[in-house]
Amino acid sequence: MKQFFSLCILALLLATALPTYGDIARPKPSPERPKIVLHTSLTIVPDSKAYEGRLQISQSSLQELRAALANTPPNESMAQSIAHSSTRTMLAGLFMFLSLSFAGVWLARSVQTRGQKMVAALLMGTAVIGAAAIIARANAGPPGSYYWRKLPQNLSKGTPTSGGLDIEIVPDSNDGSGMKLIIPMRPE
Amino acid sequence: MERTANIDLAAWRLNPAPLAASRHLSKRVFVCVLISCACLSALLASWLPLQISVVTVFLFAGPHNWFELRYFLIRLPVRFGKSRNFFLTAFAGIGFLSLAYCALPVLYAFSVWPDKAWPTILASWNTLLLLWLGSLVWLRGRQKLRRDWSWAIPVALGLCSLNWLAPEFFSLAIVYLHPVVALWFLDRHLRRTRPAWLRAYRRCLCLLPLLLAGMVWQLTRTPSLPDDNGLFWRITQHAGAQLLPNISSHVLVAVHVFLEMLHYGVWLVALPLIARLARQPVAKRATGPLRPAARERGRIWDLKTVPLARHPRGFPKLVATALAFGVLLVAILWVGFSVDYATTRDVYFTVAIAHVLAEAPFLLKML
Repeated sequence: MKQFFSLCILALLLATALPTYGDIARPKPSPERPKIVLHTSLTIVPDSKAYEGRLQISQSSLQELRAALANTPPNESMAQSIAHSSTRTMLAGLFMFLSLSFAGVWLARSVQTRGQKMVAALLMGTAVIGAAAIIARANAGPPGSYYWRKLPQNLSKGTPTSGGLDIEIVPDSNDGSGMKLIIPMRPE
Repeated sequence: MERTANIDLAAWRLNPAPLAASRHLSKRVFVCVLISCACLSALLASWLPLQISVVTVFLFAGPHNWFELRYFLIRLPVRFGKSRNFFLTAFAGIGFLSLAYCALPVLYAFSVWPDKAWPTILASWNTLLLLWLGSLVWLRGRQKLRRDWSWAIPVALGLCSLNWLAPEFFSLAIVYLHPVVALWFLDRHLRRTRPAWLRAYRRCLCLLPLLLAGMVWQLTRTPSLPDDNGLFWRITQHAGAQLLPNISSHVLVAVHVFLEMLHYGVWLVALPLIARLARQPVAKRATGPLRPAARERGRIWDLKTVPLARHPRGFPKLVATALAFGVLLVAILWVGFSVDYATTRDVYFTVAIAHVLAEAPFLLKML
């Protein structure tokens, strides 16, 4: 049976190595231009009091966007589908927590040596930390202004800047602007 | 039943000398047949995967289920005794999970739930299946004095977690893993009835990953199979073509058909043949040349080969009815395939979940 399992692992390795095709250069797929589904206007507003970047979308722009998206076929990856299903993610986390907890109890009950008890304690600790991380969502980080602080310099240099963004739906404004991007900027 | 198998084995060991030469020859024949069948199955499945899939399911799906039913009846004890909880859990699980699984396509057809809810429903069924399996392993472990099988609970819960992340892939894994379970049955059966062949069999098993790797290697660059008609589309979907779009459907269908052919081969040829070979020496030793009655013991339709029917406190009528009803179902299945192959195939693979589930407790009882 050991030989069988060894060969299974070898076959699995070979199978996973196959798609790489190191000896054959695959033709590069021509990059597809993204399809424009909606044209609107954008106003960028620096705000010294803001904590996080915000993208404000008016009700009418949102409805136009929805109508445009309705004609676009969905193409969710597995990671996206998991991220978009909070129920499934929560249940997966719950079962993982239960699994680690039961494994810890089983290890603690079935083994006697100190080293193995340490393993059991570690498993229990991992389970508790995992559960705490699920509850806290582990999303604490520096304020949004930290990521946007180099935006003016980057704009003049022509380099991109990345940062967090909250999307808000706001009532239609009178000035006719479709969307408003509020960037948190702290004076130097 | 375990006692019955042991009696046969003991008879083998009592007088091994006269049979040594023939046994050695049989072992060689067994290995040659095993390797030839595996290679031929891989070749056919790679060459014409869709056509072979249609033909094998038509010919062997029903009969292999009948043979499984007969095998399970043979393994079933007359009285549950200490295994009462185990068997009650097993039968309750088989009944409930099979009914729930068969209800899913009906509910889908009536659009009871929105499309977005289906992965959650699928994951719920998979979770129930895993918890049922975990309970069975735990209950079986309680019957073992020297072994602690409590690890089954955390393992089942861990698999539940993975299942909730990707329920569709988990269901696909069952499609591919189920045929391999037959090889495990054969392993356990050989260990009880033909231990001398076990080592050779396990060496032959090493060929399986190599054959699979060879098939994947050869077929990865082939274009996907044409699924422009309803039947071929069903076959490619069953093999996971939609879930794994970056892998050629030729590879997926070929691998699935290959494993299915091995599965049918084990249930239809290997297990009945070994059971027959295991009985012959007992008759020879006891009565000299085989008498007509002894020869009949090897016949698959003879009720006396089923302990549940043979035992004075057994249920011969119930066993006979079950087997006769099984034959009727096989005939209905063939008629159905002849009239509307695609629909019958869909119905069969839905209802066949019962035999997939039934394999679990009987395999566990052999461990």
